[in-house]
Amino acid sequence: MTLTSLAARNLLRNKVRTSLTLLGVAVAVVTFLLLRTVVAAWTGGAEFAAKDRLVTRHKVTFVMPLPKRYIDEIRALPGVKAATFCNWFGGKDPKHDREFFAQFACDDGYFDVMTEQQVAPADLAAYKADRTGAVIGESLAHVMGWKVGDEVKLETGIYPSDSGWAFTIRAIYKATSRNVDKSSFFFHWDYLNQGLPEGRRDAIGWVTSRVDDPAHTAEVGVAIDRAFDDKDTQTLSQDEHTFQAGFLAGFSAVLYAFDAISIAILLVMTLILGNTIAMGVRERTSEFATMRALGFMPQHLRWFVLGEAGVLGLLGGALGIGIAIPLIQGLLGRFLEENMGNIFPVFRLPFGACVLALSCALGLGILAALLPARSAARVNVTDALRKLV
Amino acid sequence: MSKEDILIDLRGVTKTYERGGESLTILESLDLELPRGTFAALMGPSGSGKSTLLNLIAGLDKPTAGSIEIAGQRIDRLSEAKLAKFRSSSVGFIFQSYNLLPVLTAVENVELPLLLAPVAASERRKRAQTALRVVGLEDRMDHYPRQLSGGQEQRVAIARAIVNDPVLIVADEPTGDLDRKSADEILKLMETLNRELGKTIIMVTHDPAAAARAGVVHHLDKGRLQRKADGGEHA
Ligand SMILES: Nc1ncnc2c1ncn2[C@@H]1O[C@H](COP(=O)(O)OP(=O)(O)OP(=O)(O)O)[C@@H](O)[C@H]1O
Ligand SMILES: [Mg+2]
Repeated sequence: MTLTSLAARNLLRNKVRTSLTLLGVAVAVVTFLLLRTVVAAWTGGAEFAAKDRLVTRHKVTFVMPLPKRYIDEIRALPGVKAATFCNWFGGKDPKHDREFFAQFACDDGYFDVMTEQQVAPADLAAYKADRTGAVIGESLAHVMGWKVGDEVKLETGIYPSDSGWAFTIRAIYKATSRNVDKSSFFFHWDYLNQGLPEGRRDAIGWVTSRVDDPAHTAEVGVAIDRAFDDKDTQTLSQDEHTFQAGFLAGFSAVLYAFDAISIAILLVMTLILGNTIAMGVRERTSEFATMRALGFMPQHLRWFVLGEAGVLGLLGGALGIGIAIPLIQGLLGRFLEENMGNIFPVFRLPFGACVLALSCALGLGILAALLPARSAARVNVTDALRKLV
Repeated sequence: MSKEDILIDLRGVTKTYERGGESLTILESLDLELPRGTFAALMGPSGSGKSTLLNLIAGLDKPTAGSIEIAGQRIDRLSEAKLAKFRSSSVGFIFQSYNLLPVLTAVENVELPLLLAPVAASERRKRAQTALRVVGLEDRMDHYPRQLSGGQEQRVAIARAIVNDPVLIVADEPTGDLDRKSADEILKLMETLNRELGKTIIMVTHDPAAAARAGVVHHLDKGRLQRKADGGEHA
């Protein structure tokens, strides 16, 4: 027997209580990791944005359109290699009206600029040849059960149409990396434009340009905005990362709420551990007094209590991670990526979050044990021994 | 009696407790000399301060006034850390309710005091087994306290008290929780430790039959100590 094995024995003293505490910590850790994964999945897209792309939008808000002629002026600017534009369509399929997916009416150069969404050349040609053609992501095709040749009718409140908007799927795009959206629906901007009443025509949502040199992205952005400075409609150009981060900022309240809940969960975990440790110390007062009589020092007892709490925290944390990995990577992650890929293109447990969870379980376990450890070290030996008799 | 033969030497020991502004003197200017190898019994009414006195001698508590010398060492002046070292190396404790750790087996309980000594793990185990053999529990080494009878538990506690070969063993009502037969066995064992191994023992007891086993009986009453009589058969 050693001092360490003696400390370890105490964990097995009350097996039911130890198991329940471990389970409590594990549940807290799993919840914490789920929240961190949601936040990471949500903000992940912005982190993988291309560095050589600029998004130009209406200076006031993303929702207001730009005049169509701006695209020609942007394409003519030095430093701009290619540019394309899209409108947000905001429709849904009345037959699947609970499925949300994004639709964009885009200029035909779209897939030249957004190279991480790839379409086979023959399919792309077929799409370009069909005025009502559409290109959809492979995840969307999977979820909706759509394939090339299928006809789809969409309705939208943004561009009302009595007969609805009819499309024929001509191509399915694949993504070059997991972080890229695979759930969108693209069709010809011309088709949208021609279907609109006179007064609403020739308006574009935003322009995405690719620059010659990623080192000059910022300067090109400034040059674009300067070109429209004295026009009626001014623009705001941002690199793609900033643009997506700004889009996400709309959800910042939700993200803050997730952070707050994460902290609350850690607090609950601390209380669970603190309660168990404090109970254990209180019922062991006489044992601590006996050990002191035998010559153990207050710091021995303090380390016993802190060590016990640390081990309890670590074990609970490890158990939680052990549950979270198959749950998130295997079950939830795969399900969400396949079925809600537009919101969560990559739903994977971040390694950093696991490290954080384990450190928190260890650190907060020790923190929770500080007061009980102090009272263990301060046991009044003669009083405690007298009460025993 | 020469100075070296005196193991325990108390001079003018006073113990006062402060409680709610009132001071309560439990022991008053108490003198006590006990030679090495004595088996002494300490008797007296409940609340007379027997445990208090025993705790002072064992280095668990400090006197309000007076000096306590054990084996030539002034323990009333020691720091907490030195006092803990003194207890671990020089004193064996036997308690009324045995005070074994429930999570440890008999042999592990006996090993416990040795964790503080510079003794290798295998040597610790060997010494603990020897001590359990001395108290006749070689066949109960791996039993947990809850699997033992009261008498057996107390024997494990005695093995724990002798495992580090202390000069002094203190026992506070060691038979208080035991039936007559088990109590007699424990007392016989303590007698053996005293006679065969030459251990100095101070035992607090309410039981005259237990006191009769001791070589000398001291009575404590109203803060004063009286040597009543030499004990029973082997004075
Ligand atoms: N920490 C303390 N504060 C105040 N009074 C105390 C304290 N410890 C002990 N006393 C008092 O000192 C007196 C002696 O206590 P002690 O335990 O030494 O008696 P005892 O002779 O061992 O009694 P018993 O035979 O019942 O065990 C008691 O009156 C007790 O209430
Ligand atoms: Mg007492």
